[in-house]
Amino acid sequence: MAQEYDIKAMATKIKALRRNAEALKEISGGIPAVIKNADRILANVKMLEIDISDAVKVMGK
Amino acid sequence: MKDNEYWNPVLETMPQEKLQKLQLKKFKEIFTWAYERSKFYRKLYKDAGIEPGDIRSFDDIRKVPKIEKSMLRGAQGKDPFPYGDILCVPLDQVTAYHQTSGTTGQPVYQADTWQDWELSTEAYAYALYAQGYRAGDRLFLPFGYNIFIAFWSYHYAAEKLGCEVVPGGVLDTSARILKMQELRCVGMGATPTYILGMADTARKMGLNPPKDLFIRKITVAGEPGGSIPATRKRMEDAWGAKVYDQVGSTEIGHWGYECRRQAGLHVNEGLYLVEIEDIETGKPIEGPGKRGKMVVTNLSRMAQPCIRFDVKDIIQWNARTCDCGRTYRLLEGGVQGRADDITKVKGVLLSPAAIEEVVRNVPQLGDEYIVVVTKKGDIDDITLKVEIKPEYKKDEAAIKAKLTDHLRITTNLGYNIEFHEFGSLPRSQAKSRRFQDMRPHH
Repeated sequence: MAQEYDIKAMATKIKALRRNAEALKEISGGIPAVIKNADRILANVKMLEIDISDAVKVMGK
Repeated sequence: MKDNEYWNPVLETMPQEKLQKLQLKKFKEIFTWAYERSKFYRKLYKDAGIEPGDIRSFDDIRKVPKIEKSMLRGAQGKDPFPYGDILCVPLDQVTAYHQTSGTTGQPVYQADTWQDWELSTEAYAYALYAQGYRAGDRLFLPFGYNIFIAFWSYHYAAEKLGCEVVPGGVLDTSARILKMQELRCVGMGATPTYILGMADTARKMGLNPPKDLFIRKITVAGEPGGSIPATRKRMEDAWGAKVYDQVGSTEIGHWGYECRRQAGLHVNEGLYLVEIEDIETGKPIEGPGKRGKMVVTNLSRMAQPCIRFDVKDIIQWNARTCDCGRTYRLLEGGVQGRADDITKVKGVLLSPAAIEEVVRNVPQLGDEYIVVVTKKGDIDDITLKVEIKPEYKKDEAAIKAKLTDHLRITTNLGYNIEFHEFGSLPRSQAKSRRFQDMRPHH
């Protein structure tokens, strides 16, 4: 069943989410509301990496 | 997707050989992380002559020194205060403090970053989804929301699933029951002891929980009762609900759960590496048929990593696979006890969980019991304190004989049986310590 999903495509989008959240922090100008909310997004991105992206290599995708 | 069964089918149905490949990769990563950032771990590993590049196989993992609770206690209380040099992130990245209950000694402090806290929630989400919790369920949490990790992650995982959570915080038991009745809550989470105690209180309030309340699924944790058939049956009968076991701890996180099939605990092998070691020789136990001591690694916890933690829990691989389709391995009988609790009495190995199974199978007895082991001269002596339900007081002699027989068959030991007034033995809202070894060397 794990093979039924296009996890490679998902991993690409997850990578883009990380890149965007990190880029947002870089241009935040130090605004705490931007930095801290981006940090929370990144914590959720990490969950997606654990759930999906980390599986890509071992699934041979 | 099969009957909307999985929180994450990618990991939960991944073939075992690929899961193991993933675990090895992640173990290397967390080992390297801890080695590079924590003085505690670096010293431990350097003393053992192991570096990150040395981890290439599961045999290499088994050479990595284990940690124990006493080591964690020894590290804490120093800088960075209060966690000590086990900490792998700057203090300003720590967003949550919790501590162990201290049932086995000085509590252990646990630091988590926001990401770690998300991980704890994520692990619990696997459990709740597998147990049939869904968006729209209104749940009640009769839990103290305090320094103990207990059901915090149940709360946040349920929210993540889209459930509505009613926090039962500082309400007393009666107020909690009335609130869950008023709001028609359909699920809850608590320790087995408290689940049974709440049902008792509800009955004293004149309520019949299966009919007057709406609870249909219960997740239990913190004690082995959820995987002890007689205790589970008592809880299910008392509430007219399905009861599911979930296991975890402050230091580890939520590493295992039952699914709706109730066929045993699935180890969440996508997030954790669970090893079983022979209690006496320390050799790995790879297959079913023999119980041993659990050694566990949280593969992604960053602030205060948990790498090869010797938990002292006794577990056993199950030969069965579950009909649910998960490839995560099952444990036989959940957590069967603690290595610390399994002790020789009169020369016989005694597991408190075996006593619980016998006591809870006698319907004339109440839910509570206490086992006290003492020494009279050179001879061990065991007293079992139980409560007899008022309507069966006249049958005391017959119940005593039945209990004595069943205990002897199950544990190979004789007991002094003490009957106490119904409702007189101590009740606990948190973890109960029903096994009291009072012998001089214990």
